[in-house]
Amino acid sequence: MKRILFSSRFWLVMVSIVLLAYPIAQHSQYYQHVMIMTMMAAVLSSSWNILGGYAGYTSLGHAAFFGLGGYLVALAHNHYGWHPFVSAWFLAIIVMGVALILGWISLRTQGSAFVVVTIAMVFIFRLVALNLPNITNGARGLTQPRPGWGGVQWSPEFIMVPFHYIMLALLCLTIFVSWRIRQSKFGLGLIAIREDEGKAEAVGINTMLYKVLAFGISAYFMGVAGGIYSYFFTYIDPQFIFNVFTGVTMVLIALLGGRGTLWGPVLGAFIMEPLGNWLVGAFGGTQIHLTIFGGILLGVMLFMPLGILPTITNEIKRRAKVRAVQVQS
Amino acid sequence: MSIPSSHLLIQTIILGLLVGGVYALMSSGLTLIFGVMRVINVAHGAFLILGAYLTYWLFQLTGLDPILSIVLTAPVLFLIGWGVQRYVLSRLENPEKSSVLVTFALAITMEGLMGTFWKTTMRSVKAEYASEVIKFMTYRIPLTRLIGFGAALLVLLILYLILQHTNLGRAIRATIQNPSAAELVGVNIQVVSAMTFGIGIATAAVGGSLLSMIYSFNASSQTDWITRVLSVIVLGGMGSLPGAFIAAIILGVMEQLTAVTVTLYWSPIVFYLFLFLTLIFRPQGLMGEIVREKA
Repeated sequence: MKRILFSSRFWLVMVSIVLLAYPIAQHSQYYQHVMIMTMMAAVLSSSWNILGGYAGYTSLGHAAFFGLGGYLVALAHNHYGWHPFVSAWFLAIIVMGVALILGWISLRTQGSAFVVVTIAMVFIFRLVALNLPNITNGARGLTQPRPGWGGVQWSPEFIMVPFHYIMLALLCLTIFVSWRIRQSKFGLGLIAIREDEGKAEAVGINTMLYKVLAFGISAYFMGVAGGIYSYFFTYIDPQFIFNVFTGVTMVLIALLGGRGTLWGPVLGAFIMEPLGNWLVGAFGGTQIHLTIFGGILLGVMLFMPLGILPTITNEIKRRAKVRAVQVQS
Repeated sequence: MSIPSSHLLIQTIILGLLVGGVYALMSSGLTLIFGVMRVINVAHGAFLILGAYLTYWLFQLTGLDPILSIVLTAPVLFLIGWGVQRYVLSRLENPEKSSVLVTFALAITMEGLMGTFWKTTMRSVKAEYASEVIKFMTYRIPLTRLIGFGAALLVLLILYLILQHTNLGRAIRATIQNPSAAELVGVNIQVVSAMTFGIGIATAAVGGSLLSMIYSFNASSQTDWITRVLSVIVLGGMGSLPGAFIAAIILGVMEQLTAVTVTLYWSPIVFYLFLFLTLIFRPQGLMGEIVREKA
């Protein structure tokens, strides 16, 4: 029994069953909504983690790709009638292309300078979206028709269900890709870059190529998530979607759960997103939720810089070692 | 895009110079802090807004002149800045790597508090001379901008005198040049860091007071201001005070020119583009050293 409880496969199966059954068992629209947003946060944070966790490059600007995906999908839907559930996966390839170019430019910087460049990136995207009213409708934002399929609009009772499953599919894909990267030579190269970029280069890793690829891959999932998000809310505007705070939230979630681990960002999302929803509900019109987010981020950085998962696994390893020593003596 | 007449052009450049002086003051603290402890204080914009709100508050409650209120706000922000360095930043194991995130966290914490306390309405301090305009030859100069420029220059001069002629100033300059050598000859880096952070934030208080009379602001304006001052110090070369001054003037003039030739809405892009391009193609800025290899 104990062995089963500690096997990761057991937990993976349990969590999958819960997530698959969730919209059937849980009929409250509010909780269905929270679950969709939580899974989206896990997607964003996990894909941020590919660059920010494995390669150690802290980007606060990934909201730019989230927003770009949202705009592309909304425009394609309004002008050509492409269904977002299909188009998001393809249009995100364009997002990835843009990210590869921007990554190739911006990854010449390191450390703090890179963080600042990525912040500037979000503001440039926002300003462009605000000032091209012919395409983006400027500050008034873009609306889409109410979600449906094949000319039939989904009823308000049903509307959360398709979004739940598509977000779950995206989450599985993101975790799978992140896991495969972690296992591969590519992932090892990224971790080597994080530990010591100069030495990584010296042992023959093409650091620029690795970093730019990681940037592009993480932007792809941002783009898909942004596309589904824009359809879910049927409304996006530049102020809201190109927001540095979105980028900070992903980083906070990854830091809280455990930066550079596979499951850390997912764990962080399942803690922070419901908490954030509750906070906004409880303190409504005020901006105190910003303060609480900032406070948690400060607390994590100061007192638990590794995040929850690594702290726990380190503790388990330490105890196992103590026990082994006791057995020996 | 429209080509302005030469009269409008000169008028625009005058305004740009005046704005640039204020930007120079606002960024001086940021570049000083970076020079001494290699920390990019992303909360600088939030401290500017805090200074602006304190000025606004004093003005609403007692009618205190925004320039005079500096005497009160600067010491308060000095203490806050001193405390932040002493009790928060000095605890970080690797400040050069994690300080951006920590100060960012501080910035949103402050934004939330200010937004809750002072609400989201855009504010500005309207002193009785707020709408007065000085005519110089055929050019019109708003009095508040002129006062702001004068006050900025005065504070920058005081800062320069402190740096050149006091023991603290010498210790600060020694730390900027070579921290370990400074420590060897008896400079207490902890004390110097805390004092520098205090002084840097105090200049933000002055900058905030000037901001409150020239612009309207609310808590979330801090993101706008942090990108402006960051672009100034990045273009000028991180850690270089003269560089920041020149960059502030350049960006101030460029901003006003963009506002006149393109539209007002596009003018912020001057800052974002300069920030982006400088860090990538000339990371040492105009007068600094290469940041990207140190970071």
